Amino acid sequence: MIVLTRTGDGVDEAQLAARARAGDRSAFGALVERYADQARRVARAVLSNEEDADDAAQDAFLTALVKLDKFDPSRPFGPWLMRVVANAATDRRRRRKVRQVEELDPGLVAGGPRPDTVTEQEMLGERLRAALAELPDRRRMAVVLFDVEGYSHAEIAEILSIPEGTARSEVFHARRRLRVLLADWRATP
Amino acid sequence: MKDPHAFDHRPDPVLGEALRSALAPTRDGAAFVARVVAASQRPPIAMVDVLARWSRLGIAAALLAALAAGYAVGLHAPADALSADSDASAMMATPQSPDASLLLASYSER
Repeated sequence: MIVLTRTGDGVDEAQLAARARAGDRSAFGALVERYADQARRVARAVLSNEEDADDAAQDAFLTALVKLDKFDPSRPFGPWLMRVVANAATDRRRRRKVRQVEELDPGLVAGGPRPDTVTEQEMLGERLRAALAELPDRRRMAVVLFDVEGYSHAEIAEILSIPEGTARSEVFHARRRLRVLLADWRATP
Repeated sequence: MKDPHAFDHRPDPVLGEALRSALAPTRDGAAFVARVVAASQRPPIAMVDVLARWSRLGIAAALLAALAAGYAVGLHAPADALSADSDASAMMATPQSPDASLLLASYSER
């Protein structure tokens, strides 16, 4: 689990949040800078399209700024913010305001040929995104929050508003699917 | 296929790195941060402004409705008034006294 309570310069995130709440835009900027990549990745796990993901992440930061009075400073900021991000991304997806996602070759998901001419990393990325797109929203977020962002099952349960056992199960099912894909990829000569 | 590591309580560094790379934003991170901070500095639309906008629309709609209702009433009102006037002048023109039942008809209808 990654503990994200202090910035490199020793400024506590709760302090930053309190300053941002009081109208200090530089404190808000510091929080955005710290969590931008994480928020964009989590949003992209839900929305697939990068522009939509960025829009959702931005909405989430602005919503968080408005709702900072609801943040409990005695608890870590990351899970609270990620909950806002998850809601923003899910809402955007539900409202169907997503831009058209480029069609992915079904062969990319599994069993497709492995072209030598294309960068392997890019192809693997495409396959993983396609595999993620096949998973239910909650499952995608759960595995990304766990394996990429380092949140615990308990934190994921809090972020996604589900019981901890369900969070564990979501991570399990997502991992099983994605690991098969990764194993196939590595096994292919 | 049974996956003995699926219920690991630790993040999988291989899968995590692959996913991180797959989901990594391709657009400039600094530009994104600047965009969000700039958006946060835009003044929010006050509820009073929203209500004012709606009230202006409401007043305009009410005026239109009043005009339309006035026009509709105006179409019928002169015709009734005209017929009442002509009835009265017709009665005045005749030397005979009007039938009392005709005069009292309005009372009896009430």
